[in-house]
Amino acid sequence: MTPDQIVYRHSPGTRITHWVFFLAFLALISSGLQIFNAAPYLDASDKSNPARRVLSIDSTQDSQGVTTVFGHTFRTTGWLGFGDDGMGGRTDRAFPGWITIPAYQSLADGRRWHLFFAWVMAVCGIAYMISGFARGDLQELILRPADVPKILPMQLYYLRLRKEPPPHGKYNPLQKVAYTLVLFVFAPLLILTGLALSPSFDALFHPITVIFGGRQFARLWHFVLMLVLIGFFLTHISLVATQGVFNQLRSMITGRFRLGTHDGVGV
Amino acid sequence: MKRRIFLASSLSAALSGCSSIGTKLNDNAAFHNFLGVSESLNRALLGTHGLAREYADSDVDATFRINGFDTPMDAHYSRLQNGNFRDYRLLIDGAVERRRAISLAHLNDMAQQSNITRHDCVEGWSAIGKFRGVRLADVLDLAAPKASARYVVLHCMDRSPEGLPYYESLDLHQARHPQTLLALALNDKPLDAAHGAPVRLRVPTQLGYKSAKWVGRIELVASYSNLFSGHGGYWEDQGYEWYAGI
Repeated sequence: MTPDQIVYRHSPGTRITHWVFFLAFLALISSGLQIFNAAPYLDASDKSNPARRVLSIDSTQDSQGVTTVFGHTFRTTGWLGFGDDGMGGRTDRAFPGWITIPAYQSLADGRRWHLFFAWVMAVCGIAYMISGFARGDLQELILRPADVPKILPMQLYYLRLRKEPPPHGKYNPLQKVAYTLVLFVFAPLLILTGLALSPSFDALFHPITVIFGGRQFARLWHFVLMLVLIGFFLTHISLVATQGVFNQLRSMITGRFRLGTHDGVGV
Repeated sequence: MKRRIFLASSLSAALSGCSSIGTKLNDNAAFHNFLGVSESLNRALLGTHGLAREYADSDVDATFRINGFDTPMDAHYSRLQNGNFRDYRLLIDGAVERRRAISLAHLNDMAQQSNITRHDCVEGWSAIGKFRGVRLADVLDLAAPKASARYVVLHCMDRSPEGLPYYESLDLHQARHPQTLLALALNDKPLDAAHGAPVRLRVPTQLGYKSAKWVGRIELVASYSNLFSGHGGYWEDQGYEWYAGI
């Protein structure tokens, strides 16, 4: 391929589901934090058990936010525990109003949003998997044994310790590692822990809760997996930002991607 | 450093934009109603099947966390409480063949069932308790619901701080679920006032707010839409789902 050639990179299915995923992901985080606020602690147990508390976000009598992680306590006033009430004031609240849906405290509305966008995510995820496998896009994204020896050279290239990336297809080995983990490990676990907490699933099939260590533990895993996917999201947008924002965004909107100096360094 | 600032600010910008747009949409009645389709979908697809998980005696929380409101303070409840609930009668009326007024002694004489199950509060916490009582199905049979009856409404001897009466409803299928009890005892002791004495509903397959405390009257109805705000329960009228399976 000659440099500066425009290629058709993303199918309509990939592009549409990408932006629906993006919106649903934000709505699920914001409404999920709203739900967390109603019981702002996470226990590594089936029933609630303060002795097995991993995280709690609380406030003190004198309006200080206090976050405790594995027994270590931090002052987090203004950010966690005490801060924006979503209505122009400040109050005792685990996650502040500017980050939750709705901004004001409402568990009922948070659940309404969360259960709705869980469905959006599910339908979109199924559409993505069908479209991706049918068109062969996903096969190009899945890590294969042949990619494994190329992971280290690719990392060295990213760290500027190597001049050229190892030869690879549409996606480089590190992209494949990241997407394979997200699409086939972290996202499914996030969905399963969500289902463990979803209406009727526990009664229909106890193992869905039991394998995660029980109901409260499933709530903890669900939260941790959210953090993992936020980590992926941040890495993703930082790469978009540094690898040609315009070109990257265009390829996810119109499908067209200009191959050039950044050929092969995808996001 | 620049990159970290960029990352943190882009995530904050995305989430805060999401929060403010989300709040506006949330306040829009049409959109808010539209979000409710997920409840209808879950109710239609999943329904109420299966059994709540049962636990061992050693799993029980000795001090079972109190859910919902504090003990009713009104004269009617206090009088019953002071009389050790001797004057308590569980009324069963509405779409039934035989209206009933059942005493606590009668309930205690009926076949008892107990289960050790987990109570999951909609807020997110869980507690395990041993509940003993009569199956709601058996109590309904005493009154013989008419064919027109579709929902079992539980009216409680309790009001919210704003003065709204507490009530809940189940469909007949949920009411006749083998684990659905009118509980009389918790952890081998008669219910105390804070846990719903003398009679509370215990539905381990549904979120805690469904398990109404201080049940005084059971009304069978064809529809709950003309009761109070029409959503089938005190918390449902505040925006929580009627379908609250676990």
